[in-house]
Amino acid sequence: MVNRAKIKELMNESACSHSKNKAKGDGCDKVKPGLAAGGCAFDGAQISLFPYADAVHLVHGPQTCLGASWETRETLSSYSGCNHTAMGFTTGITMNDVIFGGDKRLGDSLDYIVEHYAPEAIFVYSTCVTAMVGDDIDMTTSLASKKHDIPIIPVHAPGFVGGKNLGSRLAGEAVLEHLIGTKEPSYSTPYDINLIGDYNVTGDMWQYLPIFEEIGIRVLSSLSGDGRVSRIRTAHRAKLNVIVCAKSLITLCRKMQEQYDIPWISVSFYGKRDTSNAIMEIVKALGDETLIAKAREVLARQEEALEARLLPYKKLFAGKKAVLNTGGNKAWSIASSLQDLGIEVVATSIRKSTADDIEKAKEYLGEGGVLMKAPASEQAKIIDETGADILLAGGRSLYTAIKKKISFIDVNQEKKISYGGYEGLLNLAQDLKYAFANPVFKNVSAKAPWEVA
Amino acid sequence: MEAIKLSKHEHKPLQINPIKLSQPMGAALAFMGVQNCLPLMHGSQGCASYTKVFYTRHFNEPIAMYNTSVSDITAVLDGGDYSILMAIENITQKNPTLNPELIGLCSTGLTETKGDDIKSMAKDVELPYCFVHTSDYEGGLESGWALTAKALIEQHTKEVTECRANKIVLLPHVSMQPIEVEKIKDLCAGFGCEVLALPDLSTSLDGYLSQGQGKLGAGAIGITDIENLATSACVVSIGASMQIAAKALLAKNEKIEHLHFDHLMGLDTNDKFVSFLMQMRQIDPPPFIKRWRGRLQDAMLDTHFLIGSSHFMVMGEPDMCVGICALLQSVGGSVDVVISTVYSPVLESLDVANKFVGDLEDAQKYFKDVDLVIGNFHVERLLHQEEKEIALVLRGFPNYEELGNALKNDQLYEGSTYVLFEVANKLREIRHHS
Repeated sequence: MVNRAKIKELMNESACSHSKNKAKGDGCDKVKPGLAAGGCAFDGAQISLFPYADAVHLVHGPQTCLGASWETRETLSSYSGCNHTAMGFTTGITMNDVIFGGDKRLGDSLDYIVEHYAPEAIFVYSTCVTAMVGDDIDMTTSLASKKHDIPIIPVHAPGFVGGKNLGSRLAGEAVLEHLIGTKEPSYSTPYDINLIGDYNVTGDMWQYLPIFEEIGIRVLSSLSGDGRVSRIRTAHRAKLNVIVCAKSLITLCRKMQEQYDIPWISVSFYGKRDTSNAIMEIVKALGDETLIAKAREVLARQEEALEARLLPYKKLFAGKKAVLNTGGNKAWSIASSLQDLGIEVVATSIRKSTADDIEKAKEYLGEGGVLMKAPASEQAKIIDETGADILLAGGRSLYTAIKKKISFIDVNQEKKISYGGYEGLLNLAQDLKYAFANPVFKNVSAKAPWEVA
Repeated sequence: MEAIKLSKHEHKPLQINPIKLSQPMGAALAFMGVQNCLPLMHGSQGCASYTKVFYTRHFNEPIAMYNTSVSDITAVLDGGDYSILMAIENITQKNPTLNPELIGLCSTGLTETKGDDIKSMAKDVELPYCFVHTSDYEGGLESGWALTAKALIEQHTKEVTECRANKIVLLPHVSMQPIEVEKIKDLCAGFGCEVLALPDLSTSLDGYLSQGQGKLGAGAIGITDIENLATSACVVSIGASMQIAAKALLAKNEKIEHLHFDHLMGLDTNDKFVSFLMQMRQIDPPPFIKRWRGRLQDAMLDTHFLIGSSHFMVMGEPDMCVGICALLQSVGGSVDVVISTVYSPVLESLDVANKFVGDLEDAQKYFKDVDLVIGNFHVERLLHQEEKEIALVLRGFPNYEELGNALKNDQLYEGSTYVLFEVANKLREIRHHS
């Protein structure tokens, strides 16, 4: 079960920049009626764990929770069995379950899943309604787990306890409590790491994993991009936890450091510099001189090859200026990628960024860069002042681009290809090339015949 | 394989790859079809967030969607008044230029379970306020939409005793896309009618480029229109789910004539609709309507060979399934399977061997027996796993893959013509391959 003490603890994570400078009890996300934007805790938990394709993810709740959310994320998996990450399982409770309790339905559903799908494990997600009516999910899952002899893990992140971020943390708690440390790996190396917080959206991880392999870094387990339940159970034997572009699973890493003495670092794989820095940080943290030397050699070769392929794009993009209006770590990670392509980022939005993200944005954009606090009203003016050539933002900003007759890329749109790692940078370069060349933004802004004087 | 029977009760304890969508999502969409309405979902932030993402991806448009952000604490301590009133205050204070003309409040499973009194709030809300009970452990998308239309009429339409002879109100079911509502309005206007639709998405989510989108509902019907709805001479409900809304309007003025259609697909039902309009207005149809009827007749003949020798599975909201079945069957198509999101009495009337409430796990068992499936985008990935090549026509919510969903027209003589050609052409593609 989830309780207030746990939520309070997670909201006041000492390692998180959101809360470390705040007064006692003044944690990360506090909602005011009407102003909570974005997904709920259940959403966050689901995002964090759904990529385990060998496990079934059963949502114990009414229809909105899963009915609208399954098969929405391009979290790719190389799992050769039945890929449950692209499927949706829900108890879809009815009035009867609300009145008399949904435990029987949940138990029957677990039996059905084991009989028909034989998964490696089952995650059971509680939701607002089933949490409030007090279904004993812990008991039902524990009984079913014994009966069927597979891990069945209750995930207590009902939507109303908070936002996505908290939900991710609660998912991390469930994994720590029920899975990590329950199995020994078949073998160990001094270069074993856990990847935490990369969900392999559009295959982001596959952009940099081949480089890991070449250097000799071994990914022991992943939470949870292209992950396997059997691997995360052995995560306690890793030498290093690597958090990728995500703040939410810091608690998990801190606790693993306390329990298993595993250090952690936080990295990003967007753009050339960040990818190289990330890999160097990992090998340095592993602390093996031959590994570091090998990494230097591999990265030098990779960067050189990349530079050669980027050259035509850099020529094309010379002198181009971009305005970036997106949220969270994208404020600096996409900025970094753009700079790697020779594009000057003249402004970025920090409206939804954490203190750490703002620091980083400042660092990347330098003295002249504008950090926009209210991008909706600022960006048009900045485009005029700087003569920017492209706006990268969400769909709502499309009108600004059309009005200013400049190119536009919707960075919040669900993308189909990866921008991660070295290869991803080339994907981004190609998309930018098409965007710059496309006359649509100019053509569509033509005045209607009845508007022309 | 044991046949699954059409029943109000589920045939298994869970849904696997569900097609059922929730009631509050239907309600929220209905509120988006009212001019300057602020759709407010009373629940935790997730319900509204999922709804917003869902419609953003289906329509490729910014979506107006707000929530009361119920937390675990307010879930216990608040009876709804604090969350709702504070939400309205916070939202309007944060966006001083918003100026909503109606607050459209729908509840969710969470707030229905705790039993919030969303009705008595009206006296404390300074704006016109409409509430609708839509728990997501009952009903579905279709009922949520219909209940909202009913609530708007019950709570806001004034009782009158007089009718305007040429005024007509359409009540379209949830599966109709924006352009379809516009086309039916155009048809009525062609007979000289003053026509309104409730809800009316034809100017909201219709893929129209304009500034400041997605802040409020932008439907073509306003709160004043809704207040004066009972002066209509006739109300036309389209889809069995909308009968409740029509009845609510009749209660406001007993002189209103009620005309009901389960759907507007195919020749037969549209002939009835057009002959009614001819009678009502005592004039001949405009030339474009006559022309389209002839085109539909021709399309029926052109496509009957391919469709008449093929087997179909249709999946989606009940009212949508009923229309598609009627059209396919009118040119000899064998609809072998209908899988509905929820139970509806209208399904009983279908002449289909396998009809039941189910999910895509159920559907997979029947794929091998059909040539073409009509369903939402989730079907696409599953069909790729089949050995046999099966054609797919995407209809219903959600369709995250195709563009221009808002402009797909399946209704009247014209839309029916397009559907027949689309289906026949898809069948031709797989016939050529095998």
